[in-house]
Amino acid sequence: MSAVPAGRPTDPVARPKRWALISVAVIGAALVVMPFAFNMFGKTPKGAVMIAEFKPFMTTARLDGFQTDLKQINAGVQQSNTSVAAYLDTGSNNRVSFDSAYPTFASFNQQWPAIDSKMTGMMTEVQANLGNYLAVAALPSFRLFPWFFVIPGVLIFGFALATLLKPARWKWGRWVLVVLGIGLIAAPGVFQMFQRAPKGGQMMSAFKTIETTQNVQQIQGYFATMAEGQGAIRLEIVPSLQRSGLTQAQIASRFPAVASLDAHWVHILNDMTPMIGAMSDNVASYQAIASLPPFPLFPWFFVLPGVIVAGVALAAGSTRKNEFVSEPHDQVVSVPEPQGVP
Amino acid sequence: MNRQKIAAAALLLLVGAGALGCSQSTVTIHSTKSTAATPLNGTFRLDAGQCQGATVSGTYFRMINPNGNVNTGPFFSNPDSLCANKTYTLAVPGAQAGLMTGTYQPNPTPAFSAEGGALANGIVQPQGFTAINFSISTNKVDPQTSKMVPAPAIFNTNGKLSGQIEAWSAAWNKLYFNQGSPKPDGSDPGLTAPLTGSYDATTKSFVITWTSQVVGGPFNGFTGLWHLAGTFVPAK
Repeated sequence: MSAVPAGRPTDPVARPKRWALISVAVIGAALVVMPFAFNMFGKTPKGAVMIAEFKPFMTTARLDGFQTDLKQINAGVQQSNTSVAAYLDTGSNNRVSFDSAYPTFASFNQQWPAIDSKMTGMMTEVQANLGNYLAVAALPSFRLFPWFFVIPGVLIFGFALATLLKPARWKWGRWVLVVLGIGLIAAPGVFQMFQRAPKGGQMMSAFKTIETTQNVQQIQGYFATMAEGQGAIRLEIVPSLQRSGLTQAQIASRFPAVASLDAHWVHILNDMTPMIGAMSDNVASYQAIASLPPFPLFPWFFVLPGVIVAGVALAAGSTRKNEFVSEPHDQVVSVPEPQGVP
Repeated sequence: MNRQKIAAAALLLLVGAGALGCSQSTVTIHSTKSTAATPLNGTFRLDAGQCQGATVSGTYFRMINPNGNVNTGPFFSNPDSLCANKTYTLAVPGAQAGLMTGTYQPNPTPAFSAEGGALANGIVQPQGFTAINFSISTNKVDPQTSKMVPAPAIFNTNGKLSGQIEAWSAAWNKLYFNQGSPKPDGSDPGLTAPLTGSYDATTKSFVITWTSQVVGGPFNGFTGLWHLAGTFVPAK
């Protein structure tokens, strides 16, 4: 065999259908443009930060711990308000004297039911979304998401454009496009996006009322109220019990919930304040992610372009023409060498 | 006669202008002298905070709730405050007696106890804040923002103090809160206001105040109001 210049009749060459290439190029361009249109490069890194900053708190043990913290506060408040108040109020016929002796606690006690209800409800909601969070956290980093569109988009657009410019490339280029299309179809399956993305959607819906500036400020206010109320128990009521003649051990024995709250208060602060900080720090991150298209749609953003690209590449590759290769300066074709030539 | 009058008027104008010029020069010189800001390098030794009834003096700290204001608050109430008005948290001078300008007074290592109490004790002694100690340090790299910040610098201009205190950092519960003014990125968010104060060159007594909004973390949006009082000791 030897190479001879093109411009002579050759074997049949597969030729692309122009509309098919243009369609594929448009799909490729759309994949490239989409992350910019949705400002994914600005928003998805914030999602990655949010997932990372929630991670220390999103464990069963930690979330159970928050519920325990709230139960401890509740038990301490209830006991202060009932048996401790009765003990310190001995000789008095009404609660007015206790409330007037401990006005800070009395104020806290009035606010506590609403605080407890809100905080417990919120933590229950977060706890219910632990599985959803873990599903989202198991996805590839949010930072990579724009690239999952841009890179295949550039490749698809590039191959389609190259084939438009040089139709002879279609012979192998169509298979590259088929592979890219199948890659796009397979990606959501590989990353289990069909299972995980809807869970992410549920988490985002659940956090809609949690990750707001207004809610975070309300929680900050609750924290201030709780700190003040606990301070009243720790620095006013317990010292009064001591002044009444009870030892620390007797207080722990007679009023275990009060003693337990006192003993665990620092731990409760250690636990809760970083969580409030993470909630506060991620309001903007949550809102950035929430402004993206709904999570359950994301797998389809891969599958649909993939199906179109692979389908078009397969369907448009059957046309064969027996014609001269159009670019003689670039093309060489092989012809059989004459018999007997050394 | 007219010529004489004109000449006399011209002479008067010249003399007047000259006098005015001299006067302006004098004023300018005086003004230059009076507006020269003198750096106060040394230690601002702090007076301990004190509450006597409703009167609070010395060095103290208050925290303004989000959406509050400097004058009427509302203020965060610290149950560990020694004052009747628990929105005041009093300070006790630390091992280095107070704030040093031109240098840093960094956090120790470790910066916190196992329970999260701050251990820095150079500027002030750690003080209880809702059952956990908080304290103050100044660090070359702000521990909250991880940004490089200059050492505190304070200037005296005819008894009025100004300057920057970007490095002022509060530590509490294993968390850091930049409480400087301006903030480490040079901004002044919310109620953040520049350091101002008064200085008596004779007695070297001073009062410094500033406000700094907390940016990020559990106290995001709260604003620290700092009031430092004491006596300045120049560096040798």
